[in-house]
Amino acid sequence: MKFNTLRVLNNSLIKKTLVLLFTVLTPLFALAASDVIEPPKEFSISNFDWVSIFTVVLILLMILVIARAFDIGSLTEKLTGKTIVSWNNVNAYVGIIVLILGMIGVWYELNYHGKYLKLGNSASEHGSTYDSMFYWTFGFTFFVFVVTEVLLFYFMFKYRYNENRKALYYFHNNKLEVIWTIVPTIVLTFLVLRGFNTWSKITTDIPKDSQEIEVFAYQFGWKARYAGEDKELGNTNFNFISGTNPLGVAEDGAIKELIVELEGEVAKLKVKQATAADSIKVWKAKYDRMVSTGLNRTYPEDFKAVKDQYNDAISGAYERQLEKDIKRKKTALSRIAEYRKDKDFFNGKASDDKITTELVLVKNKPYVFKFRARDVIHSAYMPDFRVQMNCVPGMPTQFAFTPTMTTEQAREIKGNKEFDYYLYCNKICGGAHYNMKIKVTVVESEAEYLTWLATQAPFVAPALPAAPATPSTTDSATTTTTPTVALK
Amino acid sequence: MSTAALHVDHHADHHHKESFISKYVFSMDHKMISKQFLITGIVMGMVGMIMSLLFRLQLAWPDEQFGILETLLGKWAVDGKLDPNFYMGLVTIHGTIMVFYVLTAGLSGTFSNLLIPLQLGARDMASPMMNMLSYWFFFASSVVLLISVGVETGPASGGWTVYPPLSALEKAMPGSGLGMTLWLTAIALFIVSSLLGGINYISTVLNMRTKGMSMNRMPLTIWAFFFTAILGLLSFPVLLGAALFLIFDRSFGTSFYLSDIYLEGVGALENIGGSPVLYQHLFWFLGHPEVYIILMPALGITSEVISTNARKPIFGYTAMIISLMGISFLSFIVWGHHMFITGMNPFLGSVFMILTLIIAVPSAVKAFNYLTTLWKGNLRFNPAMLFSIGLVSFFISGGLTGIYLGNAALDIQLHDSYFVVAHFHLVMGSAAIFGMFAGIYHWFPKMYGRMMNKTLGYFHFWLTFITAYLVFFPMHFMGLAGVPRRYYQFTLVKEFDVWMDVNKLITVSAIVAGFAQLLFLWNFFYSIFKGKKSEQNPWQANTLEWSTPVERIHGNWPGEIPTVYRGPYEYSRPDREEDFFPQYIPDESAPEVLQPEETQKAPSEKEEETVETSVFFAAIKRVFGLS
Ligand code: HEM
Ligand SMILES: [Cu+2]
Ligand SMILES: [Cu+2]
Repeated sequence: MKFNTLRVLNNSLIKKTLVLLFTVLTPLFALAASDVIEPPKEFSISNFDWVSIFTVVLILLMILVIARAFDIGSLTEKLTGKTIVSWNNVNAYVGIIVLILGMIGVWYELNYHGKYLKLGNSASEHGSTYDSMFYWTFGFTFFVFVVTEVLLFYFMFKYRYNENRKALYYFHNNKLEVIWTIVPTIVLTFLVLRGFNTWSKITTDIPKDSQEIEVFAYQFGWKARYAGEDKELGNTNFNFISGTNPLGVAEDGAIKELIVELEGEVAKLKVKQATAADSIKVWKAKYDRMVSTGLNRTYPEDFKAVKDQYNDAISGAYERQLEKDIKRKKTALSRIAEYRKDKDFFNGKASDDKITTELVLVKNKPYVFKFRARDVIHSAYMPDFRVQMNCVPGMPTQFAFTPTMTTEQAREIKGNKEFDYYLYCNKICGGAHYNMKIKVTVVESEAEYLTWLATQAPFVAPALPAAPATPSTTDSATTTTTPTVALK
Repeated sequence: MSTAALHVDHHADHHHKESFISKYVFSMDHKMISKQFLITGIVMGMVGMIMSLLFRLQLAWPDEQFGILETLLGKWAVDGKLDPNFYMGLVTIHGTIMVFYVLTAGLSGTFSNLLIPLQLGARDMASPMMNMLSYWFFFASSVVLLISVGVETGPASGGWTVYPPLSALEKAMPGSGLGMTLWLTAIALFIVSSLLGGINYISTVLNMRTKGMSMNRMPLTIWAFFFTAILGLLSFPVLLGAALFLIFDRSFGTSFYLSDIYLEGVGALENIGGSPVLYQHLFWFLGHPEVYIILMPALGITSEVISTNARKPIFGYTAMIISLMGISFLSFIVWGHHMFITGMNPFLGSVFMILTLIIAVPSAVKAFNYLTTLWKGNLRFNPAMLFSIGLVSFFISGGLTGIYLGNAALDIQLHDSYFVVAHFHLVMGSAAIFGMFAGIYHWFPKMYGRMMNKTLGYFHFWLTFITAYLVFFPMHFMGLAGVPRRYYQFTLVKEFDVWMDVNKLITVSAIVAGFAQLLFLWNFFYSIFKGKKSEQNPWQANTLEWSTPVERIHGNWPGEIPTVYRGPYEYSRPDREEDFFPQYIPDESAPEVLQPEETQKAPSEKEEETVETSVFFAAIKRVFGLS
C-alpha cells in the first residue's frame, strides 16, 4: 500500500503538470505553425482531377458492398449451419495460383528485363571478375529463393486445415538444425572468400603506370583535370577556388587575382558595416511606409522581401552576418598567405593542367581516378565499368580501373548508335542530383586521346598571363562537346 | 492472495475516479497506450504511403501534369508538376516516417506495450508513468515532423539518412534550413520516447513475470521485444549524439562533420578538420540495428501467429532465441556495410563484409524454422496467418539480396541503386508491415473485444501481397542495370528510357496497393464499433493474454494473475483431445513429460510482482531519500 501515495502523486501532480504543459505547448505549436506554414493556395475546383475523384468514390462504395455481402454470407452460414465457402481452402488454392503466376512472372522478368542488365558486358577489366562473382551469388540465391518459396506455398496448400487431422507434435531436431546452420555457413564462406579476393584486388592492386585523372564534383556537375606536358597534376586547395579557378589549383597568377578579389570584398563589407546604422534606418522607414500605406497588401511579394530585410535589421542578424562574412574572407586570406609561403606547394605543375568537361580514356590503359568534392558528398558512378566511389569534401578518395571496351564497341554490342558512357552522381546532393553527369568516352588508341587532349586549353595558356577557365556554375552535361566522335 | 484481493479493490475504485483525460489521453494503462501507438502509427503510415504515391506519380509520368498535385501541394507543384527539391523532401519524410514512426514506434510500441504485460502476466508495465511519457514524446515528435512538411523552405530533403554536409549547410539545399532543424527536433523527441519505452520493456520482462513464467517459457514475441528494446537502448543514444553534433555544426559553428567546403555564393567556409564520414559511422551504428529493431518484433509476432494457426509447436524454440540473440549481437558490428564505397580503408571493408555475411546464418535459420513449423501443421488461414506467411515470403526474397549487398565487391555496383530500394523494401518494409498487419488482425480482439471481418482481411492480404511484389520486385532489375536511387526523373538519361514502362507498372501497382489499404482502414475502424463480439480465446491460443476477460480492465485480470505451467507452444499434444493446451491451465494428469526441455524447471518461487511495485519509482525514492 505504501506505493499508493506515489500513484496519487503520479496521477494528480504529474498529470496536471503535463496537461498544463500541453495546453501551453499546443497553442505554441499552432503559433509556430501559423507563421511557418504557407497559407494554402486558393482552392480551385478545376485543379481536381474528376476522374480520379470519381474512381475513389466508386471504390469506396465497392468496399462497403463487399463488407456487407460477406457479413450476410457468414450470417447465412451460421443460420444454416452449412459451410457455403471454405475460405480456408480458397486461400490455399489462391496461394498455389499466386505461386505459379509469380514464378512465371519471375521467369519472364529474367528473360525480358534480363537483357537490359549491364551484367556480362562490362567495360572494364575488373568488371568481368565482378560479373562472374555476381553469377555465382545469383545462382546460389536464386536456387534458395525458388526452393523456399515453393515449399512455403506448397506447405500452405498441402497442410491446409482439416478437422480430422492433428498437426505433428514436433519441437525440434538437432541434426536438421545443425545441417541448415552448417550448409549456409559453407556457402557463405565460399562467397566471402571470393568477395574478399575480388574486393582486395579492386581496391589495392593499382598498376604503377596508371594515369592519374582528377575528377571533381560540385553542385551540380563534374570536371576532370588531366596533367599537361609535365605528366603531373598540380596541387589544389579549397581556399583557392574562385570563379576563374573552379578546382582551386595552386597557380600563382590565379591566386594573386583571388587575393585582390577577396580584399576588395572585405573592403566593401567594411563599408557596409560602417554604414549599417543608416541602412537599417532606411529599411525601417521603407517597411513602415509600406505598412502605413497598405502597399503591403497590394504587393505581398515585394513586402515579403522588405519585411525580411527589416526583420534581419532589427534582430541584428544583418550586422552579425556582415561580421561573419568578413571573418570568413579574412580567414581565407590568411590561409592563402600561409600556403603561398610554401614554394613546394606552388611548384608550377598546375599551370599546364587541363580542366575538361568530359572524360576521354584509352582502351586497356590503367587509370586512377582521384576524386574531390567541392561542397557536399557526391558519388562517381560508372555502372558500365563497375566503378563507384564517393567524393567527399575534405577527404580525397580514389578508384583504379582499366577500361576494356571503346565507346564504338559498346555501341555495336548494344545496337545503339547513340549510346555513350556516363559518369553519374549517385549520392543525393541536392535538387539537381538527378541531372549531374559527365560523358565518358573510351577511344581505341593513345593517338586519338592525344589529339583530343590537344584541343583542351591548359589552365594557364602559354602566351596569355591568365586565361579564363570555364565558369563553375554551368552544368557539365549540357556544355559537353563530343570531339572524339568528330575525330573519326 | 490477500494482496491480490487488495489490488482488485484498488483497481475497481480507481476505475471510477478516472476522468476522460486520464483514461483516454494521459492514460497510464498499457493497453490504452498501445492503442495510442497503434492509431498514431496507422495515421503516420497513411501519410507516408500517400507521400510515396505522390512521388511515384512523378517517376512514372514525369512529363504529365497532375492538377491534384497542385491543389494538394501548392507552390511545390506548380502546373501540377512536382518540384525536384520537394520530391527529395517527400522521399526523405516518407523514409523517416516509415522507418521510425510506423515500424519502430507503431509496430514495436504497439505490441510491446500490449503484449509484454499480458503475455507475461503482469498488471501493467514496470513504470506506467514512463510508458505514458514515451507515447507523448512520440506524439510530440510526430507533430513536429508533420509541421516540418509545411514550412516555407520545405522539409528536410537529404534522404532519411540526412548525411552532412548536405544536411548541415542551409545554403546547400532549401530543405536543409528550417525543415532540417525541425527534423532534428523531431528525431530527438523520438529518441527520448524510444528510450523511455525501451527501459520499461526491459525491466518489465526481467522483473514482472508471473509465477511459473521462467524466461524459457516466454513466448517468442516477448523474446523479440526484449532484444529489440536492448538494441534500441544501446543504439539510439548514438544517434542522439550524431544528431547533437549535427545541430552544433549547423548552429554553433563547430566542424564535426565539415571540412574543406566551398559553397556557391558563399565562398570557402572556415570549417576544417571535420569528417562527413564520421557522421555516417555514427548514423549507421544506429542505422543497422534499427533495421532489426524494425524487423525483430515482426518476426516475433510471426512466430506466435504461425504456431497458433498451424496448431503446431514452433519449430526450434531455442534455436529461434539463439538466432535472435546472434542477430542482435552481430547487428552492432556490421554497420560498415552501408559505407563500403565511402573511401574507408579497404581492409575495414573486408572485415565488415565477413561480419555481414555471418549475420545471414541466423537469419537463414529463422526462415528454415518457419518453414518446418508449417510442415505437417494443420493450417488455418485467417488474415493474421496469411500476413505471417507473407512476411516469411518477403523475408526470404528480401534477405537473399542482402547477400549481394553485404559483399563489398558486389556493392560497388549496387550501392545506392534501385537494387537497394528493392532489397530494403522487401526485407524491412514489406516484411515488417506484414508482421504489423498480422499482429493487428491477431490481437484486435484483445484490443477492442471485437473481431475484424475475415473476408475483407483476405482481400486486403492478397491485394497487398501481390502488389507489393509488383512494386518492389522489378526494382531489382533497374538496380542491376545501374539506375540510381533518389533520382527525381529518369528521362534525362537515354539509357533509362527502357525502364519507363516498368516505372509505370510500379506506380500503378502502388496505387492499387494504396486502395487495398482502404479496405484495411474500413475494416479496422468499422470493427472497432460494429465488429462481431469476440470470444475470450478466439484463436484457441495458448498464451496468457487470452486468459484475461474480453472486456479489458485496468490491471488485466480480475482476480489473481494466473500461474504458468508450461511453454507457450503446446499445440496438438497427442495426449490431449483439444489441439491446444494453454499455459495457464494446470495439468490434471500427466506432468510435463512431453516437453523435455521443461521438465527440470519447477515453477519459480519468486514473489509475484504487481503493478505498484514499480522498480523505477522504488529506485527514485531511494535515490532521493524519500523512504
Ligand atoms: C506504398 C508502399 C511504398 C512505396 C510505393 C514506396 C516507394 C518508395 C520509393 C520508390 C522509394 C525510393 C525513391 C527514390 O530513391 O527516389 C522509397 C524510398 C524509401 N522508402 Fe518506400 N515505399 C513504400 C513503402 C515503404 C515502407 C513500408 C517502408 C518501411 C521501411 C519504406 C521505407 C523507405 C525508405 C527508408 C526509403 C529511403 C528514403 C531515402 O532514400 O531517403 N517505404 N520508397
Ligand atoms: Cu551530386
Ligand atoms: Cu545494415
